Amino acid sequence: MDDWLIAIIKVVCIWVWVLLIAVVMTWVERRGAGLIQDRPGPNRAGPWGLFQPLADGIKLFTKEEIIPTKARKILYILGPLLFSLPAFSAYAVVPFGDKIILGGKEIILQVSDVNIGFLFILAIGSMGVYGVILGGWGSTNKYSILGGLRSTAQMVSYEVPLGLALLAIVFVYGTFSLRDISLAQQGTFLGFLPNWGIFKQPLGFILFIVAAYAEANRVPFDLPEAESEIVSGYHTEYGSMRLGLYLFGEYVNLVTISGVIVALYFGSWHMPYIDLGAYLGPISWGIVSFCIFFLKVSFFLWMFVWVRWTLPRFRYDQVMGLGWRGLIPLALFNIFITALFIQLTV
Amino acid sequence: MAKPVIKKEYTLTERIYLWEILKGMKLTWGHFWFNFKACWRPGPHTIPTCWQYPEDRTREISPIFRGEHMLQKDDKGREKCIACGMCAKICPAKCITIKKGKRKEGEEDKYAAKTYPASFEIDLLRCIFCGFCQEVCPKEAIVLGQNFELARYTKEECILDKRKLLLNYRKAKEEGKLRPPRKRVPVVPAPPKPEKAEGAEAKESKAAAVGKAKKKPVAKKKAAEKSESVEKVEGGEKKEAVEKEE
Amino acid sequence: MNQNPTSQTSYESDNYVTINIGPSHPSMHGTLRIITMTDGETIVKAEPDIGYLHRGVEKLGESLTYHQFIPITDRLNYCSAIPNNVSYEMAVEKLMGVEVPEKAQLIRVIMMELARIADHQVCIGILGVDLGAFTPFFYLIIQREEIYEIFEWFNGARLTNTFGRIGGVDADLPDDFEERWEELKPNVRKANDETEKLLTHNRIWMDRTIGISAFSAEDALNRGFTGPCLRACGVKRDLRIDEPYCMYDKFKFEVPVGKNGDVFDRYIVRMIEMEESLKIIDQAYKLYKEMPSDAPLMARVPKVIKPPAGEVYSALESPNGELGFFVKSNGSANPYRIRIRPPCYMMFQALPELVKGEMVADLIACISSLNIIAGELDR
Repeated sequence: MDDWLIAIIKVVCIWVWVLLIAVVMTWVERRGAGLIQDRPGPNRAGPWGLFQPLADGIKLFTKEEIIPTKARKILYILGPLLFSLPAFSAYAVVPFGDKIILGGKEIILQVSDVNIGFLFILAIGSMGVYGVILGGWGSTNKYSILGGLRSTAQMVSYEVPLGLALLAIVFVYGTFSLRDISLAQQGTFLGFLPNWGIFKQPLGFILFIVAAYAEANRVPFDLPEAESEIVSGYHTEYGSMRLGLYLFGEYVNLVTISGVIVALYFGSWHMPYIDLGAYLGPISWGIVSFCIFFLKVSFFLWMFVWVRWTLPRFRYDQVMGLGWRGLIPLALFNIFITALFIQLTV
Repeated sequence: MAKPVIKKEYTLTERIYLWEILKGMKLTWGHFWFNFKACWRPGPHTIPTCWQYPEDRTREISPIFRGEHMLQKDDKGREKCIACGMCAKICPAKCITIKKGKRKEGEEDKYAAKTYPASFEIDLLRCIFCGFCQEVCPKEAIVLGQNFELARYTKEECILDKRKLLLNYRKAKEEGKLRPPRKRVPVVPAPPKPEKAEGAEAKESKAAAVGKAKKKPVAKKKAAEKSESVEKVEGGEKKEAVEKEE
Repeated sequence: MNQNPTSQTSYESDNYVTINIGPSHPSMHGTLRIITMTDGETIVKAEPDIGYLHRGVEKLGESLTYHQFIPITDRLNYCSAIPNNVSYEMAVEKLMGVEVPEKAQLIRVIMMELARIADHQVCIGILGVDLGAFTPFFYLIIQREEIYEIFEWFNGARLTNTFGRIGGVDADLPDDFEERWEELKPNVRKANDETEKLLTHNRIWMDRTIGISAFSAEDALNRGFTGPCLRACGVKRDLRIDEPYCMYDKFKFEVPVGKNGDVFDRYIVRMIEMEESLKIIDQAYKLYKEMPSDAPLMARVPKVIKPPAGEVYSALESPNGELGFFVKSNGSANPYRIRIRPPCYMMFQALPELVKGEMVADLIACISSLNIIAGELDR
């Protein structure tokens, strides 16, 4: 009974928390864009414009829902749902802290420590593409179809380097569980570096982050919604909260991806060089580990914004070229090197 | 299709994407950090390049800005306009309508000249703010002020009548935003012979007629009535000419 | 004759998709419409359809006096109104045989080169936006704002300047021009540098621009290309040097020339031209300062302009290319006919050739780099 209760509380908490981050992210994105571009960004609603996402939410909710006459109705309605559902559920296996001991009960700060870990993320993440393609197809709009097709090709292509980069991580840590990988990153590596995944897998990290950007449809890989070319891509015909689900799902995806990056490559909740867990009590360590993890995640969330307002956009065939001719050979090379290294050291 | 593309050889740093991307990110970070610090400054105008417009009106507007029109009064508070109709004639958008009125006895403190505009209407929906009216005005009566907030709720409000134009003048005077007196644009001095400058041969026939009319003091009534045809005169001279007529 | 281009050429095919890009599309500059037939994303056929911003400017000129037409020319290329004004004024002056005082010519040069910088900044900024790089646009547009500030203090308007009059200019440079100019110059250079840093050597940008919509010099000449787009093709033609006007022969400046005539070359040519414009303004302002302060700014022209009957074509190097005005007079106060030769009209009609075999994304880049302004395209 207790376990159930704890699980439900964890699910609700993490769900609210991820939603909250995603909401704030829409604000951070626009303010960040403003500051990068020598302008303040939205600063009218509330202090520093913090209520802007709220205002946007109200706007999206209260708008009339329009289904285009020629749209394929079921697909059109299904699209945003299929996009946002996987996005919301993928965070289930990503940790958000070490563990906390409440009333003598050890609670790990993770919704579910599945032993197939990031296989689950890959599986769920790749379901998001259905939402995009169905939305694009269901809209019966040429721009939407182009956007949907671009997105499909891109997501399918970039899952390969993403998976291969993760494979190398499995070689290193010998497990799929994100919590086990996180735990393994404590201490130092080679005596002077923090024992983080990035130092063991530098190439793998670059491959992963590039592929992750492509998976999340972020600049420079935002072709599916390239505004200047195909209007808004797959969500051209969407309005009101259906559009909101698409936009929102994207930010939730960013949170998940940042969480995975931190858990796999940036030592999860571990501080470099210092093992804070040894000095703090069980409850305070739980909170501190959560904070450390969150800080690291925020940095990567900010990275998404930062990169977005720096780079131009790829072209469709160039994205494919980069994926198949650049990243996949590199990922295979990375796996080879990792395997060789492990073979020699073990 | 012959497309003579000479492929540029990419250097190594260009080839690997990341180096240049990191350089670009460094640059954007610089901007971000600068503006982030500026964000904490007091006042609505925090980021130097951006004015928070409705609250922050510190941006200096040029005193010769071509905004909303006004009808000026002279030092004694009399209306300068003589209803000559030059502005209405020059206006490319044809947005000015003037009705002329004759000054009656005892109205000398209201109107500066013998004629005054009985009604003076500017249709802001038509106006293109070219500033020709103020340039051609012999008395500097109509000028374009600094007000650029021209949004109105109804179409009727967009038509400036004389009352609104004078009100604009009063407001500008109270705020000290009157347009400085017009600077005369120096014109190439006339050749020693009083004949017209080069290129004017085509109009000699007309020049003779109007030129004479101007010189004769007898013709002043006539000239005032069809003051639209005071065109033969040169830029600076024309002003004096109209003054003489009064 | 059927006016609808869709029915002139068949766009119906089982293998291809017809996409109407425009007239309302985020990256159509103004209201352009391009009917494309695509194979996947590759453009098989593209046909521009113009006229969505047609305002009858030329016809309007026939019912206005010569002076009244000046504000209308502002509305042609609204990114840089001043060269339009000057080009028209030069045409009428040529018709009347009026010699513009030197000081007025220098002011015209200074203002026109400022407008050139502003125009190029917008063009490059928008090219960046269309290719997904938003930030350079803001860095450039902030400096353009400073240039508009100078315009505002010069004669009171920012965008539709109504600069100059037939026979000269309407105002002298403001007293604080030098101050503003000295402040502006390094800022423009800095913004250009930053844009170059963000774009020029970035491989994503290079991939997107190099070799895209390339055009050979011969084709470009046949198609009537002018301005930066022609120079990007490798033809060194610049009216400022080839047919000097406004004392341009007294200034020393380079004319940048590209090789491929692709988007990248157009971008680079514009970048270098901005730098050269800065140099020209420096030289012109030096000459300007040597003039006495009461030197004439207006030639002696009659108040009502009635050029002798005849016709004239006069052109200058606007930021976009050769901007020509054909004015025909029958001796009355209204022009008998005005014909405008906008630079981007000629370039837009080469679009089908430029984008054939490219992708939809390249079409956008191509249009941006040609700097097509619907206002002067449709007139």
